[in-house]
Amino acid sequence: MPVGPIHRDLPSTAFFDGTARGELLLRRCTACGHLCEPSTMTCPSCTGRTFDATPAAGGGRVVSWTVVHTRNGAGTVRTPVALVELDEGPWLEGQLVDVEPDRISTAMGVRVDFERAEGGEAIPVFRIV
Amino acid sequence: MSDPVPAPHRRPVIAGLGITDMTRRIYGRTAPEFAVDAVRLALDDAGLELGDVQGLLTNAGITRGIGLSLQKDLGLRDLRLLSEIQAYGSSAGAMVQYASMAVSSGMVDVVVCVFADAPLQEGGGTGDAYAASRATPAGFSAIPYASGLRGAPSMYALAARRHMDTYGTTSEQFGAVAVAAREWAALNPLAQMREPITLADHQASRRIAEPLHLLDCCLVSNGAVALVITSGDRAAGLRQPPVHVLGWGQAHPGYVRERGSEFGLVSGATRSGPEALKMAGVTIQDVDVAEIYDCFTYTTVVSLEDYGFCEKGEGGPLAASGALGPNGTLRVNTGGGELSSYYLWGMTPLSEAVIQARGQGGARQSARHDVVLVSGNGGILDYHSTLVLSPHPHA
Ligand SMILES: [Zn+2]
Repeated sequence: MPVGPIHRDLPSTAFFDGTARGELLLRRCTACGHLCEPSTMTCPSCTGRTFDATPAAGGGRVVSWTVVHTRNGAGTVRTPVALVELDEGPWLEGQLVDVEPDRISTAMGVRVDFERAEGGEAIPVFRIV
Repeated sequence: MSDPVPAPHRRPVIAGLGITDMTRRIYGRTAPEFAVDAVRLALDDAGLELGDVQGLLTNAGITRGIGLSLQKDLGLRDLRLLSEIQAYGSSAGAMVQYASMAVSSGMVDVVVCVFADAPLQEGGGTGDAYAASRATPAGFSAIPYASGLRGAPSMYALAARRHMDTYGTTSEQFGAVAVAAREWAALNPLAQMREPITLADHQASRRIAEPLHLLDCCLVSNGAVALVITSGDRAAGLRQPPVHVLGWGQAHPGYVRERGSEFGLVSGATRSGPEALKMAGVTIQDVDVAEIYDCFTYTTVVSLEDYGFCEKGEGGPLAASGALGPNGTLRVNTGGGELSSYYLWGMTPLSEAVIQARGQGGARQSARHDVVLVSGNGGILDYHSTLVLSPHPHA
């Protein structure tokens, strides 16, 4: 299935501004430099509270994955979704696109891309590299 | 640190248990209606009246159907303790802990704890009920759903896959958990699914979120369970054999979402288990019956490892050995668990633990039931609670 519609809220405004221009913005702790996943409010490394937005380089690997089965009138739709560890360290869920589900395996290298449902914000998806 | 064991006359006891009928799907009734029924059943079971209730703790399920207004629905007046508790699957254990502390301190004598939910709608799927209510339309928390993940099964699929990749756990080993649960359910008149299943049935059941099949998933149910907590002294004159709350613990690991995270590999049981056992003055080897939160077969596997019933990574082979069934070496999820009896969050393992501790399990009763461990697990292994129950007071 294609990615679903999603709207921005106040905390995610900068993030979705980033996805709109093709950037996956991480949060870089201004105190210790740790690169944190995009929704972080307290740095897991030093408990810092302030962050700069830093674009991820875009590479990562599959930490875990599932193929979600949903039923519609025509039959079953299989949607592969991965938990990805970005090369910078943070984890993010994202749909795996343009891949045959039975070809997926853990630790595969992926690269971020973005997809957007009609009327919604662009969200990160991942392609096998 | 002060002695955690209260004075003998104030030691906490579970004196009443009320379970609404979940042997079939019941539609057209609300969570507050189920909750009122369960509380009245629990009070009848204990031999107490509504007027005896001094405290009420509520835990709402996914539909958020009950809360403070349950006081009014029950016609209760002049409560001296009233709160909504929310720690997802660890809530049932947590409620008993808070009620036990309130009784031990002398704050109140009789506290009722209740969970109720009614997510199933006639003609709708169980997964739909859960996924729809979890969907948030905006912000970071909506990204998993927009990406295609569909509620708990798909998140637990990610956790289970990681366990499989790391320890070699297999879908067939998860299947052994499901088969054992069904064997127990066949002996439990309260259980919804009592027809035997085979490993082949498990493997052939439709996929929900790979690697999880339908028979890896719990039975989302409409209903309620209530418990009455009171002091040892007060319980002495009541209707049921008292079930003493000997030990408890909670553990909420707070997994980081970055490199090095233990997500999927361990649960909070590694911390709450030893805490609860230590408080009870027993060890894991002393546990006669273990009632483990089994929202998915994988959850049983990872929890058994973390409590120390086997080595880390050996939960799958333990299940495959047949150890978990009625003819096995352990007494685990003796009512069929959430997989085959009914899924009412942490009230499923807790209710069966009370029945076992009392010795009222009929055909499924464990011969030894001096030490009964109850495991609650919520979120995606985020929230954990443990209780140690016994028909005997602290030694
Ligand atoms: Zn920092």
